[in-house]
Amino acid sequence: MWRAGGLEPMPIRKLPEAPPSVHLIGPTVFLVALGVGMGESYMWPRLVLLFGPEIRWLFLIGVTLQAFVLLEMARYAMATGESIFTGAARIFKPIMWFFFTIAILIYIWPGHLSAGASAFEQATGIPWQVAAIIGMLFVGTLFTLAKVVYNLVESVLGILIGVLVLGTAVIASLVGTWGDLATTITGMFAFGYIPAEANTAEWFPVIVGSIAFAGPSGMQQMWYTLHLRDSGAGMGAHIPQLRGLRGAGEEEEQPSRGFMFDTDDPEEMAKWRGWRRWVTFDAILLFWGITMLVTISFTVLAQAAARQSPDVVALLRDGDRSAALQAMSDSFGSIGMPALGTVFLGFIALIGLNATLGLFDSFARGQADMTYHFIPGAKRFRMAHLYAGFLWGVIIFGICILLWGPADGPAAILDILAFLSTFAMGAYCIVLLLVNNRLLPKPIRPKIWTNLIIGFGAFFYLGMLFYSLVRFGVIVS
Amino acid sequence: MSMNQVRQVAEAAVPGAVIGVLAGAVVGVMAALVGQPVGWALTGAVALGIPLALLGGGYGAVVALGLVRPGVFTPAAVLWLVGFPFARLLHETITPVLLGGSPTPPESIPTFLAFQALISPGFAIGFVWLFERLTPAWLAGIKDHNPVAERVYARYAVHAAALWEARERRRARRRPTAATGAAARGRQSRSS
Repeated sequence: MWRAGGLEPMPIRKLPEAPPSVHLIGPTVFLVALGVGMGESYMWPRLVLLFGPEIRWLFLIGVTLQAFVLLEMARYAMATGESIFTGAARIFKPIMWFFFTIAILIYIWPGHLSAGASAFEQATGIPWQVAAIIGMLFVGTLFTLAKVVYNLVESVLGILIGVLVLGTAVIASLVGTWGDLATTITGMFAFGYIPAEANTAEWFPVIVGSIAFAGPSGMQQMWYTLHLRDSGAGMGAHIPQLRGLRGAGEEEEQPSRGFMFDTDDPEEMAKWRGWRRWVTFDAILLFWGITMLVTISFTVLAQAAARQSPDVVALLRDGDRSAALQAMSDSFGSIGMPALGTVFLGFIALIGLNATLGLFDSFARGQADMTYHFIPGAKRFRMAHLYAGFLWGVIIFGICILLWGPADGPAAILDILAFLSTFAMGAYCIVLLLVNNRLLPKPIRPKIWTNLIIGFGAFFYLGMLFYSLVRFGVIVS
Repeated sequence: MSMNQVRQVAEAAVPGAVIGVLAGAVVGVMAALVGQPVGWALTGAVALGIPLALLGGGYGAVVALGLVRPGVFTPAAVLWLVGFPFARLLHETITPVLLGGSPTPPESIPTFLAFQALISPGFAIGFVWLFERLTPAWLAGIKDHNPVAERVYARYAVHAAALWEARERRRARRRPTAATGAAARGRQSRSS
């Protein structure tokens, strides 16, 4: 038995073998689907056009930091088969309840749907609320009918992201120039560059919000631990997979705690190093690489659009996202490739669909996990029932908000989301430090330099958030 | 290599070619969907799709021949580092020809190629990502009549077997496992 924190001790089990070769299909697909969103396709291209490519050094730091967070989230999940939420509860239960509450506050709003659905409306004329409601019902039905949710989501997201990556590369190659790409890339290394205008009440909160949206934002990294476990990575192999409502009858009994492997056994440690290599490959090539690729492609597209139409820069400065995206789309149509504008909007819609698929699944998964293990009496339900309850709860609430909620919802929702997201990110960095350094056996704890980087993450997110509040009296946006 | 073997390798290489077509046709198909002239849509699909399909098929063929291990990124990155820029150069130059005009190569070919080469790793990630997802299913369908496909499929099966074993272990998880080592012995009392 391995005693860790205030909950039930973890029995010792064998660590499974890591995949025999570097294989590309991993749960990072979820993080990529969730992470590549408005930050990459809109917020950062916007900052580049307003402040120059040199501002991108902040994006580089944000995404690199997220890659380290991914690796540290994976450390706990692969070593124990537990989610980071259970890890937080082992340290101090109210920390877990804090994340349970904050998840509801942030993610029940359908704001994340608006960007993709608005782009779909611009491309097809179908009102975005209609597309968003149909999209939500589609996602709910899909996950309800799935026998094993993980397999379905990974397959669907995998194909969608593959098409997105190929498509953005092809489009960027069509409209971009050597100069655009060179400045976009070299701008990432202009460390310390802060234009005077950026350090104002008007723009500093925007920059902080954009850094929070570089890669996965909010609680997405925490949910990654649930996907990692369900994929059977590391000790997650000893935990049953989550099933859709249709497959609830076949659900195996969920153990009330995770497992630990024997860290003094050299064979087990060799397998552990194999798992770390596997997840590091995922973090660097898939997560970091694809996030960088998509944002570079969209920045190149934005620069090309700004050359064609100076209106784009003015609209971006005003912060009217829909108008700016439409202007960018129009500008591609004006350079002799009329379909490109629609293709561009199509990819924005695709990004929105990916995020919606991933977000609903992740939210329901996280809340069901915490409810099942920590709310008294919840175990009389199956995990699949709780998952379906949270999934349909967030869908029905979202539909109600779209039908009867505030008309100017999307932008306002994104502002609140950005503030809470940044706060959650600083908080989970602290949780990671506590969980990995206090709950894991010494041989598999993080090295000092890893702790320093995660500590820097906590300082970075919380520091900027409160600097913005104290210095300018404005929350992030 | 006999004609029969060439046919088998070509069949096993189909997913790579399909992804090439998909990538090249992305602009053309979307153009057709939104009501652009069919000629415009076809031009984009043909001029970019065919070279990318040939290169993608070539990658599938070297995987089928066992010269490249499936799922490894570097060979695909090298292929597209060279192949993608030239596919785009061809596309840029011959598109006007297909529309009835004269060839129009880019003003500065070295700069054009360098730019496309920088974009190519992104294309390579998307290509390998899709290749790894589509190929096993395709090979499973043709392996009964195609020994080349059967051999490549066996490589994927090694990985699938590892996952299967993991699943079996999960099912058998209730069986007590002897705890060994210090993690099992001396730390029971430690509450860290």
